[in-house]
Amino acid sequence: MAPWDRDVPGDFAEIGSETAAADEALAMGTALPDGEIPVFEDDETLHEKPEKQWLEMWRSLRANKAALVSLVFIVFLVLIAVFGPLLTPYNPVETHMANALKPPSAEHIFGTDQLGMDIFSRVIAGTRVSLTVGLLAVSIALSIGIVLGAVAGYFGGWIDTVIMRVMDMMLSVPSILLAITLMAALGKGIDKAVIAIGLVSIPEYARIVRGSILSIKENDYIAAAHVVGLTDARIIFRHVLPNALSVIIVRATLGISSAVLDTAALGFLGLGVQPPQAEWGDMLGRARGFIFQAPHTLIFPGLAITLTVLAFNLLGDGLRDALDPRARIK
Amino acid sequence: MRRESRLIALSLVLALVVAALAGCGTKQESTGGEQPATGSEYADTFTFAQGADPRGLDPALVDDGESSKVIVNIYEGLLKYADDSTEVEPCLAESWEVSEDGLTYTFKLRQGVKFHDGTDFNAEAVKFNIDRQLPPKVTEDMGYAGFVFGTVKDVVVVDDYTVKINLTQKNTAFLANLAMSLAAPMVSPKALQDNNNSVMEAPCGTGPYKFVEWNKGENVVLVRNDDYWGEKAKTKNIIFRFIADNSARVLALTNGEVDMIDGIDATVVDQIKNGGCELFEAPGMNVNYMAYNVTSPLFKDVAARKAFSQAIDRQELVQSLYQGYSEVAETILPSFVPGYDPSVKQVAYDPEAAKAGLAKAGIKKVHVIAYSNPRPYNAATGQSLATAVQGYLQKVGVECTIDIFDWTTYKEKVKAGDFDVAFYGWIGDNGDPDNFLNLLSDPDPTMNIARWQDPVYIKGIKDALAMPNGPERNAKYAELEKYAAEQAVWLPISHAKMLAGYRKGVDGFVYHMTGNTFLKNVTVKKAE
Repeated sequence: MAPWDRDVPGDFAEIGSETAAADEALAMGTALPDGEIPVFEDDETLHEKPEKQWLEMWRSLRANKAALVSLVFIVFLVLIAVFGPLLTPYNPVETHMANALKPPSAEHIFGTDQLGMDIFSRVIAGTRVSLTVGLLAVSIALSIGIVLGAVAGYFGGWIDTVIMRVMDMMLSVPSILLAITLMAALGKGIDKAVIAIGLVSIPEYARIVRGSILSIKENDYIAAAHVVGLTDARIIFRHVLPNALSVIIVRATLGISSAVLDTAALGFLGLGVQPPQAEWGDMLGRARGFIFQAPHTLIFPGLAITLTVLAFNLLGDGLRDALDPRARIK
Repeated sequence: MRRESRLIALSLVLALVVAALAGCGTKQESTGGEQPATGSEYADTFTFAQGADPRGLDPALVDDGESSKVIVNIYEGLLKYADDSTEVEPCLAESWEVSEDGLTYTFKLRQGVKFHDGTDFNAEAVKFNIDRQLPPKVTEDMGYAGFVFGTVKDVVVVDDYTVKINLTQKNTAFLANLAMSLAAPMVSPKALQDNNNSVMEAPCGTGPYKFVEWNKGENVVLVRNDDYWGEKAKTKNIIFRFIADNSARVLALTNGEVDMIDGIDATVVDQIKNGGCELFEAPGMNVNYMAYNVTSPLFKDVAARKAFSQAIDRQELVQSLYQGYSEVAETILPSFVPGYDPSVKQVAYDPEAAKAGLAKAGIKKVHVIAYSNPRPYNAATGQSLATAVQGYLQKVGVECTIDIFDWTTYKEKVKAGDFDVAFYGWIGDNGDPDNFLNLLSDPDPTMNIARWQDPVYIKGIKDALAMPNGPERNAKYAELEKYAAEQAVWLPISHAKMLAGYRKGVDGFVYHMTGNTFLKNVTVKKAE
């Protein structure tokens, strides 16, 4: 086996390591039907109950100002995405050629684009597209990546080799290039973009999950689970994966930010939405010729992308600290 | 600490200022130093920057504009275009006659003209150049041989300065072809023989400038031909520089590295003007149009096509999309091409009529295809144009789905014909009306993307091609334009202007509608 496979990403390996993992797993173990897992009631490491854990996490997250602001911003974005159509002052896809490239004013607070469409309305409409694509793409990547990673890490041997070599192959091609290739094969459209972005980010999740599982499966309670005769599937999904959950949550949060960025990149290259639908990257791409003439056509969609990506990144960082008992801000 | 860093900053600023001042000083000195050499207020070198290297400098073997711009300064043809139109004028041929049957063209050649290698220009040279591009000698890499000389049967040398060209069929556009910068310019037969029938890198013509050197990826250097038969060139050296990046090219102009640039669009106009440079605008020989697929069930009827066209406010669209750097096209022909008739009008904007007409025709959903990139006739990209049209149609209750493709794929899709409406354009070759208007009669769907095959129109085009140049032929083309407009097969949208940027003090260049830059009379005032 190649040395880099053993190289479990630093931060995540630590979370998955003995104390925290054992705490959580055994705490969960207590909730299982009797007899399946030996329960060590009097063990000192058991004092942190799951509910208390979440509370601790929340406390830590709340202490992290950047993450908190990001969380508020993301909630705000979600609200915009949900109630977007009610908030747009103009129809985001209605052209008004006579009104093209107008700078921001009271009438059009973000100005108008090359076709006279209201940029404010389009940025709002684009929020839904970006967040939906981000979430869906991450869900696809997550569900496939977790299964592949868990199977590879848990069983090891040739299954591991085959899965991880395929993942390595995917990782060896720049993800945006791979996404463009997939789009070329699948055709244009935002649904295809979701699939393309989802598929190309599978390896990241598979790797992280596999890494965590490699260390988790060495724990005694896994051996115990084997002894009491649990099926592999049950061990993986009930006893191993829950311990890798924190790693996965952090990764997924960060993953949304890169998915939003990838969507914008595809849109910028003209592979995203069907015109005249609004999408941030597409708006940016079509406005780039006007950077000197009408900079507002670029600034607002650009800001939307930047702020969204930044918020998900900061939240992801905050979550990572909050989920790691040793890095928690007390 | 703080004080120290301030001191350092201050001294750095001082150093910069001193350096800047010193820089200005030396610059002035150096220009001043050259002054006595020529004793004139004009510089002896003019630098033109374009986007790419020429593909080569053999007029028979290239088909691109970047080559063409250099070629027209080294070579000349039998005929040339007027400076401000595509009317043909004498050049190496002093006069010509066309036989009654329109099949024989006799040219009287200018005497005393020499190629740059010292050999004489005469009837033999003309025959050599044309024969080279006729079967059996013509080769596959002669991109324009078929276009320019496709109807030539043979070339007969009558005497040293008279040459007769026989055609296989009547083709009045042949004269315009002879003025083109591709295929038609005369190359020294000796140079061709010495260079294995390709002067791609050793050009030798009769033009006002001689070739000096070509540093690939960097520049082509030309020097004045002091034995030129006509008025000699005004500036001694011409340098064509190649700067691929658009903004870098604009920067090279504004900081004085080059005297003139082309290959620019409306987005950099402000930058050029703010940089203290001038903008040259001229009508371009092109048309940007929307075509209906007449084989589509939606648009087989002229009424449906008209209704769709009526929904589009071209005036507003062209103004917003091209910001004044394209003109609304009422005709397929640009205004300077013979046959242009200002009384021809396309379907006028009338949203109410459009709504009624489209409803009557039962049109609700239209499949539109467009290209993703800017084109010379459409700097705003096909996508923006299509989206704008989509916006207009939305207002009259028709939904357009747009499929966008990159240019190469797009051409395939156009050929395949799976669309109701498509966007395309045409860049003229020879300035003859036939070159634009025969597109709609062409059986090839890559040329005639509307797939319109109207016997009346096809016959008209054939007749007009055979008519001798003159008002009668022009009237025929005007009539054909009118017919095409009534049938609403295309909706001509705009003619893009040609733009070039140049420094103050540059004068005398001819930036022709064919995209060529004739630099014989260019002068550059020295910087103060």
